[in-house]
Amino acid sequence: MSESLSHIDAQHLDDLALGSVFLATGGGGDPYVPKLITAEALKTFGPVKLLNPVDVADDAFIVPVGSVGAPTVSLELLPSVEDAARTLDAFEKYIGRPIDAVASFEIGGGNSVIPICAAAAKGLPVIDGDGMGRALPEAQMMSYPIGGVKPTPALAYDYAGNQATFETDNTETYERHIRAFSMAAGGMITAAEHAMTGRQLKDTVIPGTVSFSVALGRLLREKRGQADTLLKPLQELFKTSIYGECRLLYSGKVTDKTTRIIGGYDIGEATIEGFNGCNDPLMINIKNEYLLARQADKVRASVPDLITIVDYETGTPINAERLRFGQRVAVFATGCPEFYRSERALKVVAPRCFGFDIDYIPLEELLS
Amino acid sequence: MRIGIDVGGTHTDAVILDGDKILSATKALTSADVVGGIKHALDTLLLDASIKPERIQTVMIGTTQFTNAIVQRRELSRTGVIRIALPSGKGMPPMIDWPDDMRETIDADIHMIRGGYLYDGHPLAELCDDEIDAAIASFKAKKIANIAIASAFSPMNDAPERHVEDRLRQAMPEARITRSAQFGRLGLMERENAVIMNATLLPFADKVVSAFLGALKNRGLTCPAYISQNDGTLMSSDFVRHFPALTFSSGPTNSLRGAYKLTGLENAIVVDIGGTTSDIGVLQDGFPRESNVVVDIGGVRTNFRMPDILALGLGGGSLVSDSGKSVGPQSVGHKLVTDGLVFGGDQLTTTDIIVAAGQADIGDKNRVSHLSEVVIQTAKQTMRDMLDRSIEMMKPGGKDMPVILVGGGSLLVTEGLAAASKLYRPENAGVANAIGAAVAQVGGEAEKMVNYRITPREESVAEITQIAAKRAVAAGAEPTSIRTVDIEETAIPYMDEGATRVRIKVIGELAG
Repeated sequence: MSESLSHIDAQHLDDLALGSVFLATGGGGDPYVPKLITAEALKTFGPVKLLNPVDVADDAFIVPVGSVGAPTVSLELLPSVEDAARTLDAFEKYIGRPIDAVASFEIGGGNSVIPICAAAAKGLPVIDGDGMGRALPEAQMMSYPIGGVKPTPALAYDYAGNQATFETDNTETYERHIRAFSMAAGGMITAAEHAMTGRQLKDTVIPGTVSFSVALGRLLREKRGQADTLLKPLQELFKTSIYGECRLLYSGKVTDKTTRIIGGYDIGEATIEGFNGCNDPLMINIKNEYLLARQADKVRASVPDLITIVDYETGTPINAERLRFGQRVAVFATGCPEFYRSERALKVVAPRCFGFDIDYIPLEELLS
Repeated sequence: MRIGIDVGGTHTDAVILDGDKILSATKALTSADVVGGIKHALDTLLLDASIKPERIQTVMIGTTQFTNAIVQRRELSRTGVIRIALPSGKGMPPMIDWPDDMRETIDADIHMIRGGYLYDGHPLAELCDDEIDAAIASFKAKKIANIAIASAFSPMNDAPERHVEDRLRQAMPEARITRSAQFGRLGLMERENAVIMNATLLPFADKVVSAFLGALKNRGLTCPAYISQNDGTLMSSDFVRHFPALTFSSGPTNSLRGAYKLTGLENAIVVDIGGTTSDIGVLQDGFPRESNVVVDIGGVRTNFRMPDILALGLGGGSLVSDSGKSVGPQSVGHKLVTDGLVFGGDQLTTTDIIVAAGQADIGDKNRVSHLSEVVIQTAKQTMRDMLDRSIEMMKPGGKDMPVILVGGGSLLVTEGLAAASKLYRPENAGVANAIGAAVAQVGGEAEKMVNYRITPREESVAEITQIAAKRAVAAGAEPTSIRTVDIEETAIPYMDEGATRVRIKVIGELAG
């Protein structure tokens, strides 16, 4: 098991962000800019306390906060340092009670650091854990609603300070509403939603992922090098974590990649051809995240297991919006937390939920 | 017949090529004014081959002057920056993540104003002429004439950048302006970084290009002169006055291309050992392998396409310490000829070790006779280990690959390298960069708005590739050598679904 941290300060941010890109499976948005604003916040307000979920009081009031939108947008529509804290201020005002701790929607990508930025400015602790253990494109795919947490009251805050509030019991409905607001507000907004008690948090959170992401980032930094040499250290780290299995699926060159912004998501696919040219190419389907990897119509890995594309030479994970024609890459797959293999979770995150006509088969049961 | 010149930080190399044949090659020191070094190199070159200047058809120049200026923080002019993106990005001003010393040197006058576009074509905010005028007044008061403009989503809609540029030009006709839309792809911060670096180099670019052209004219060379850019293609020297940033990685590109030309090896590792570093790159099918990750130049993130280079702190001037167990990264650099032991100095360098081992005859070998055999052998082993380890890191997984040694410091490699399947030390390796410049290629680019629902993607890509290829041929490329190097698609979602801007770049060998 990787070590649990008690605080997050500026020196953890680079590793946390790097690890979070690996766990983001191509989505989640590039954490580079969110990391910069979080560094500014930590510089101004000091380190943030990291709370192990088991230490949270049952009646504590926990609010997840993060960005909602299309990752490509975040390349151009920059966040402001104060967005996340203003979102929580507005949320507290809306519901009329103070927040005890901040949590993350998803550890993958920019939303790994946004809660830390908000918590720093508000002087609140942040939960060591998140609602996905990775990144996934829709709100109802979070462990919080899967475990019964209601999405609203919720509040969204856009780049210009415009606000919208939401009231609905159903997370699918909430997802459609907030997505529509996000699209109408420039494609990227900050939201506070799925507020819950400490008890609910303990029942639904994917625990320890902030500390794990820091450990993963440190490994990627220290062992920086060709994908083949990374495999063993990665396997050792993942084996003792909530993820388990880790495989190197494929190495090759990106020979085609198309994505478009459709309905508020980056949707498309990528083709990777082996360096020696004699293997069948690997096809990756993308909806914000890398969701499905197939080779000659055989499934090599699928959501909710994690598919991560890294730069072949350095092992640096590459976001879907930065994946380009001609890049030399390696594709890793890792298992997902057990929570996501339960029947109630697969109802919303199985491949069919993304329009792929296949059943979910856990990575370990697929031929490697 | 053509001349290739490489103007580096320390040396100016030049070659005359007749087709593939090297008629003459020379190496001179780069002079402080740049001109002297070029003139000196040209004199030796033309005299050596007894060729009349009028027989030269083209001159190609590769230079690291602009990269060095950024890395060494010199010749950087004070720059005005206008980012058009408020109210987004508050508290996140341009250059926020730049190294402090660079920010201080450029001392930019930064203005964040309202405007720009959203992904869906709606304005992010309305541009406000009062805000533009306030920035202009500030530039005027501070006498700033080099200005970088970047607005959100300008690759999709650059109207805000154009509007600001027009207003600036009316108020400050003498201003030199770079707009971020001229630097392509999405990624506001990286694109903005590129234009700021470009703008801050503009006065130096004038100086350097004028020096180049002056030196050529002075030596009777009136043929067209080109300067090589990042991707190994050529641009006219006038173009460089406006876009010096496009030369940033031409040094390593030329070195790799030169190594390919010298050996004919299409797939190999190229180790260019200089005074301070060994730059290790990979040739793939005769071209530099590109870096996949965001590349930083002088500590600044950019989105340029760059060759993948691993810089190892080992060169001919690297300091040797700890009885040979530690080598570099500190180096006496170009002061080797005064500070190294064999040259009468008091610093133990890698070059001294090789002289002491009796494997090079440079300077006064008596000055290193006191070095023990253990120190010599340990230092040599340390160097070999450093190179082997780095080469292994760059090698495509598990493959055996030959290694080509170029650069003045290649004498450091006295025996074989474990990581190399075969070691090549081509003749004229010292002028690989100049040869790389001389064999630089011609590019062609085409951009078009298409609708994939009307014209399917494959068809659209083929059509635009053909336009780009025609342009490359018109610019002098040999038609059969043309290949696609970049396909960039930017979906424009607010227009009809399927609307995409496609930009394709092809390159080919210079014909004849």
